[in-house]
Amino acid sequence: MTAEEDRTGDSRRTGDRISLDRHSTRYRTDFEGLSDEFHAKCPVAWNQEHGGHWFVTGNRQLFDLARRADVLSNDADVRNERRGYDGISIPAIPKERRNGMVGGFIEMDPPAQRHYRNALNPYLSPAAVARWQPVIDEITRACLDEVIETGSIDFVDDLANIVPAVLTMAMLGLPLADWGVYCEPTHASVYTPPGSPDWQRVRDLSVKMAGRLAESLRGIRDNPRPGLVNAVLTADIDGSRPDDGEALGVVQLLIGGGFDTTTALTAHSLEWLAHHPGERDRLSSQWESLRDSATEEFLRYFTPAVGDGRTISQDVEINGTRFGEGERVWLSWAMSNRDASVFDDPHTVRMDRTGNRHASFGLGIHRCIGSNVARATFKTMLRAVLDRMPDFACDPARAVHYDTTGVINGMKHLPATFTPGERLGAGLAETLTKLQRAVDEQRLAEPVTVRRERAVLDD
Amino acid sequence: MKVRVDGAVCQGHTLCAMTAPKLFVLRDEDGHAQAVSEEVPADQEELAREAARSCPEQAIVLF
Ligand code: SF4
Repeated sequence: MTAEEDRTGDSRRTGDRISLDRHSTRYRTDFEGLSDEFHAKCPVAWNQEHGGHWFVTGNRQLFDLARRADVLSNDADVRNERRGYDGISIPAIPKERRNGMVGGFIEMDPPAQRHYRNALNPYLSPAAVARWQPVIDEITRACLDEVIETGSIDFVDDLANIVPAVLTMAMLGLPLADWGVYCEPTHASVYTPPGSPDWQRVRDLSVKMAGRLAESLRGIRDNPRPGLVNAVLTADIDGSRPDDGEALGVVQLLIGGGFDTTTALTAHSLEWLAHHPGERDRLSSQWESLRDSATEEFLRYFTPAVGDGRTISQDVEINGTRFGEGERVWLSWAMSNRDASVFDDPHTVRMDRTGNRHASFGLGIHRCIGSNVARATFKTMLRAVLDRMPDFACDPARAVHYDTTGVINGMKHLPATFTPGERLGAGLAETLTKLQRAVDEQRLAEPVTVRRERAVLDD
Repeated sequence: MKVRVDGAVCQGHTLCAMTAPKLFVLRDEDGHAQAVSEEVPADQEELAREAARSCPEQAIVLF
């Protein structure tokens, strides 16, 4: 190798090598130290784990690469019909274990990816989500009413798991009462590794969920009802309709995205607020001015979806790094969100941070399509907890974080106590029945292009 | 000061409208942003700068 080559940098040879398993304890417990080290030494590193892949953590480097749809592919070519790429998971899911399943449009490239997004955006845009606000308020109210008189809550099980799940069901056009069938397997399959004692049970639940979902999809195909499922089934993808398997993958992507990430954000933020009561009181009393900046800061700091994989689709040199076709890349949204060259004091939560251009929803054409749902749901839950349980206290010994944060930085349980309060209305089951009626009668799950009015809920 | 959103770069993160609601509107269908008008009123210049800094895609052009 010449000195020139060495300087312009092929990180695989010049020493910017790391060896980091994102599923290791080290990644979870030494996250801040590792971020600082990589930013200083190797913002674009060659990670020797998982078959070797680029590991991008520098904010600038990530920004310059992640938006390059011309040189990156999300394609999961499960039948080896194109170039055999492996989608967005690193380590890759072995093709033989996929059973032909593609994880929805986040594992596709344009134009198909764009066709799906164009079909679904009118259900998920800010204007579309605003119509659901009364429903989000009501699910949240009912969840808190279930526990408000007892003085104790598990913020994950009793609130943050339920509100996003029920809302997602409503937007999909699936029965609200089915939320429980989807909720546990969706969360548990993220944090239960193969081989763990609970794995078989979670697998059984997942099989049951897939069965129920396939059945619901058939039902909606035969008797269309408004919602995201119908939009997927009738989408025009390059002149044809998706087959059953592809539609199932897309709907599972919407469920996975809708359920686990907002739960993770909410649990972490509530835990942080419990341990910073002064900041909690400040957020509560200055809600109007801090609501948005605090939400973006919690998104930055806790980055629920920690990163995404890609495959380099053509040889390219960016900022002096030469990427080769077929090589895999991990885009670390979470670490780039801690880069001190962009964020002052990056490992500190500052609820009034300005210029907070975090990458927690991803960057470029695959930007999280549910970001507006996530923000609205998160803000509603937070405001309700601050109002109705202002003195909540979390016991650090009983909070359970995911064992591995290599994909989602989430929590399994977050028990808390608070001064009991009074119920405001009906419990969850009764509320869901009422909401189901409103969803059906007012056709709330239509896209905003068809129905512009907000939901109206009578008491 | 003038402002423009580069439609080819914007991905609808909505930070701009959150930061400067008087300067940016989001399309109903997909939440992508447009400037309400090219001219930034004098009392909105600071917010325009803050919106440009906050945009994750750096799609906001001030000129
Ligand atoms: S913040 Fe940037 S990407 Fe987001 S809507 Fe505004 S201009 Fe578009």
